[in-house]
Amino acid sequence: MSTLTEKTSRILIVDDEAHILQVLSLKLRNAGYEVLSAGDGEEGLELALEELPDLIITDFQMPFMTGLEMCQALATNKETEEIPVIMLTARGHSLNDEDVSIGNIRHVVHKPFSPRAVLELVKSQLFGNNPRRDSQSSDSEAA
Amino acid sequence: MVSLKLAVALGLVSAATGILLHDPSVLQVWLSGQSVVLRGAVLVVIPSLTFLVMLLSFGVAHDRAITRLSRAIETDSDGGSEIDKIDAPGWLQPVVNVFSTSVKRMAGECRQLRDQLSSVESHKFVVEAQKKQCEAVLHTFRDAVIVTDDADQIIMTNEAAGELFKFNVDEAAYQPFESIILHEKLRRLVRDTRQAGDIGQCRHAQIHIKLPVNTTTSEMTQETNFDVSLTCVGNQSGDVGSVVAVLHDMTHERELSELKTDFVSKASHELRTPLASIRAYIEMLIDGEASDESSRQEFYRVIQDEAERLSRLIDYLLNISRIEAGIVQIEKKEVSINALVDQAVSSISPQASNKGIEISLKLSPEGIRLEGDRDMLHQVILNLVSNAVKYTPESGKVTIVAEKDTLTPSLLVSVIDTGMGISPDEQRRIFDKFYRIDNYKQLAPGTGLGLTLCKHIVETLHHGHIGVESKLGMGAKFWFTIPLRQTNPRIAA
Repeated sequence: MSTLTEKTSRILIVDDEAHILQVLSLKLRNAGYEVLSAGDGEEGLELALEELPDLIITDFQMPFMTGLEMCQALATNKETEEIPVIMLTARGHSLNDEDVSIGNIRHVVHKPFSPRAVLELVKSQLFGNNPRRDSQSSDSEAA
Repeated sequence: MVSLKLAVALGLVSAATGILLHDPSVLQVWLSGQSVVLRGAVLVVIPSLTFLVMLLSFGVAHDRAITRLSRAIETDSDGGSEIDKIDAPGWLQPVVNVFSTSVKRMAGECRQLRDQLSSVESHKFVVEAQKKQCEAVLHTFRDAVIVTDDADQIIMTNEAAGELFKFNVDEAAYQPFESIILHEKLRRLVRDTRQAGDIGQCRHAQIHIKLPVNTTTSEMTQETNFDVSLTCVGNQSGDVGSVVAVLHDMTHERELSELKTDFVSKASHELRTPLASIRAYIEMLIDGEASDESSRQEFYRVIQDEAERLSRLIDYLLNISRIEAGIVQIEKKEVSINALVDQAVSSISPQASNKGIEISLKLSPEGIRLEGDRDMLHQVILNLVSNAVKYTPESGKVTIVAEKDTLTPSLLVSVIDTGMGISPDEQRRIFDKFYRIDNYKQLAPGTGLGLTLCKHIVETLHHGHIGVESKLGMGAKFWFTIPLRQTNPRIAA
């Protein structure tokens, strides 16, 4: 059962893979979130600056602008620098800590992933007591 | 003649002496009738002549024995056996014995010396051969080799070192190392290695050398990384004799390592992406997130499509790897290009119709036949036609041309579309593994391996060429050629 606060949270999903965009959007909508979606980093940045979502889920490797570049750009803007980001990546272990320390990246989720687990991460980021980049954070409040 | 006269005289004197010795009264009777002078003369001359004859006889015998001994010494070839054979008179035998022993001893010593000389010569030959082999090996090395002696002179080097440090290999021999090599770090490394004196221990270091980017524009340089192996070689007294420095250009290794890392990273991305969709949609179905039958059907379709994409990716990857490793067995038979084009077009027609794309064929009416692997060539044509349809906007046109170039002679197949075109930079990279044009990614899914595989099939397996011509906004033309006489010129003649 979702609370009123959860239902009003807006989440931006950015991925160039249409199927991933579709499946995550459905999972989050079914959980009561408002979902915005973008097909690449440029479009994602534009939408984030425009809509100021509560959380962003973004793929790492995308055409025109990567997820990392988008996060770096968001971190330079006062209005978007605090937006928590969950980064999805299919690049195995090629993302290093230095890369993800830039911007407000809270979690790195490796593909293939479980939409269920991503939903739990979203809940914990939005409503849990989540220090930055702590994958063990509690999601009891949202559960 | 002298010896004959001597023999006659000796004979007469011997005869006279014999008569007198036999019966001295004959002499007395004869002398009583002679004058005093004649008697005196006979009495003096006969003993003198007798003595002289005896002396001559002894001299001749002695001379003969000495001559035999000299000849035996001269002709002796195996250490005294000829000397032993001479029939020497008793008085000469001790001398012969001494000679024989000495000659035998000297012969033994000579034999030893001869053996030693032969061994030294054969050893010298082996050493010279080994030196030549070493030099030959050294000169074929791509690695630069410099060997310095205990006086810090270059005692051995090779062409690679000469090219790297710009010196003449022949002129550098026995020149001071530091007058030839100006690279400060390398000088220091050689000095340090000699000073450390760890004989037989190889130490490694990295150095950078500025090299011209290419030979025509020598002004442009770039830092090239070299691995330097340094080894001390001991001399006879166990001290450091020479220092061997071998410089290996690490550019190739670094590029190879980067390629591998890049490949693994890209392959990981491409394999995980369809797998991510499959896993996510299955979980959504399990969790009952699809609200109705239509959504569920849509999920099943996505899972199927992504599983096929994954399967295609794995096939492409394996085929490319096999071709690169040279372990692909292709079956070359006579193939009709018109038939292959027709087959590819009939496979793609449904997608083309959905987008309202017209496929036009310009094939040689008499048909072109060539020796090739049917399935592989079908894959190439299908890939090019499929790409053209995928990336051409609705109501566009795709033209397939198959013609014979009689000059080369070869088959030329072109697939021309009216799509958005490809920039020159993208044209250079389009056959690279996993490369996909950013603008095209959102138009249709792809593996980024199709064109790489086409290139391998055409160029590696059929010795042809593949390429693209395009201008942005003006469509693209992908083409490939396959030689028509590629196996045995005698058959084609």
